[in-house]
Amino acid sequence: MIENGVSGRFVFKESTKTPSGTVLFEQHLMRIEKSRMADFAGYLMPLWFSSISVEHKAVRESAGLFDCTHMGVLEFDGEHAPDFLDAITTNNIKTLKIGFAKYSYILDAAGYVLDDIIIYRRKENNFMVVVNAANKTKIQAWLKALQKDEAIIDTEKPARKLQDKPVIRDLLTDCGQDCRVDIALQGPASKELLFSMIEAQEDKQQFQDMKSFSLIETGLDGINCIIVQTGYTGSKTGYELFVHPSKAAELWALLLEKGKSLNIIPCGLGARDSLRIEAGLPLYGHELDGEFNINPFEAGYGWAVKLEKDFFIGQAVMQKKSQNYNMQVARIEFPGQAGIRPVRQHDGILDKNGICIGWVLSCAKVDEKQIALVYISKNIAEENRQIGLYYTARSKMQVEKGKKSKVEKNQELETDISGTIITRFEKF
Amino acid sequence: MVIEGLYYTEEHEWAKIEGDVATIGITDHAQELLGEITFVELPMVNKEVVQKGELGVVESSKAASDVYSPVAGKITKVNSELESAPEKINEDCYNAGWICTIKITDKSTIDNLMSSKQYEAYLKSM
Repeated sequence: MIENGVSGRFVFKESTKTPSGTVLFEQHLMRIEKSRMADFAGYLMPLWFSSISVEHKAVRESAGLFDCTHMGVLEFDGEHAPDFLDAITTNNIKTLKIGFAKYSYILDAAGYVLDDIIIYRRKENNFMVVVNAANKTKIQAWLKALQKDEAIIDTEKPARKLQDKPVIRDLLTDCGQDCRVDIALQGPASKELLFSMIEAQEDKQQFQDMKSFSLIETGLDGINCIIVQTGYTGSKTGYELFVHPSKAAELWALLLEKGKSLNIIPCGLGARDSLRIEAGLPLYGHELDGEFNINPFEAGYGWAVKLEKDFFIGQAVMQKKSQNYNMQVARIEFPGQAGIRPVRQHDGILDKNGICIGWVLSCAKVDEKQIALVYISKNIAEENRQIGLYYTARSKMQVEKGKKSKVEKNQELETDISGTIITRFEKF
Repeated sequence: MVIEGLYYTEEHEWAKIEGDVATIGITDHAQELLGEITFVELPMVNKEVVQKGELGVVESSKAASDVYSPVAGKITKVNSELESAPEKINEDCYNAGWICTIKITDKSTIDNLMSSKQYEAYLKSM
């Protein structure tokens, strides 16, 4: 169902479907029980293989392998592809060099974030775009509306349409030999493993010289791969491998077998979440959009919104929002040793007087501490500042004891534990 | 893992009945679902509970789960070691990870519980 009235707001309601396994499902069943998997965006995904903390540590110290084959992979092809992507996303795509990638946003005309994406330029007029699994059908519906000139793209000029359109294909399915799925290898040891599996000498050299957000196309033990130096763990050394779905299981098994001596292990959704939280990276629906409609400026990604471009969908609203926002995403460290109640989404963040200034969006336990991503008043989000936390009720019993299940801004509350604001992002 | 001789609930608690005393914990299936348990809120000693009444909360970094009483009675002891070592529930949920003991006031409430065989079948049916 699509609505895109005069407000320029694009609302999409997805029908629920029974979850299915990814192309690596059989591989996972060789390592864990089905009960260890959970429905994520319509796919049965492993929650953890060994444990969240062991997998988190492996990515920081050696490397971890992630099933990302559920991620949406789209192709934009043709001479109109650069201009089209430049107009429908916030970052500058015209200046994106071949062999490199950029982080960008797809907004509707009302300025709401529809997805955060990575755009890879493979050729002058050929792009691979990775979208969130949970947003894939919505983005496809949005792209279809844009291609058919059915969507409002400029609220100030409702008749405005995009001129020429590229050919858009879904690389997960129906693209024959061109199909691609994403497997991520993240952590310091990932470079050594991939280097050993690249056969051609010149490719080895190219791989050695790779920079963050660059890509090469090569063979890993004979399996054709697009290797890109991107990821969602905060690791400086981390790669995503785009492989044909029919070769994904073979590559997965091979990477684990050859990576064994380097302590490379498979990782599930649990560690994926704790790693991205520790690094300060947003998850759509939590630190982007979601119940607070968090925009890129509030999330700390204003640099990916190029206001000076001639035009992009949502530009007018972004110009206003960039000048005027009072809340922002911050990262806070709380104690997290055994016996400390875990911090959760919706817990209240308090200033030194116990006044609620915002809420927890996500939290993860990392060693003996907890790292929370929070949405708080901008004037308080200063590094090294002490901050309080109010645990919202987790159960009926706590409600009976007087704990609130929901807290409002400016409410005066009791501080349950204290934390410290730390840098917005961290690299490892 | 399901232990023979214990009683089980649909909410994945176990009860070991010795005379009129029940020792309570959560099952292997429950601890597996929760993942690494980092916090346990224990009930108050001497508190009276009804069957299916709330005993406490077990929390992992991913989820918080209420613990309900399998029987009706009065709390006699709590495993306060769990406050500093909640991971005992992950490591040994049927022994060192016990949560509390209850002096049963209404023994007929035991009839509402599942045997180990019934609980095994219940897990398979899920």
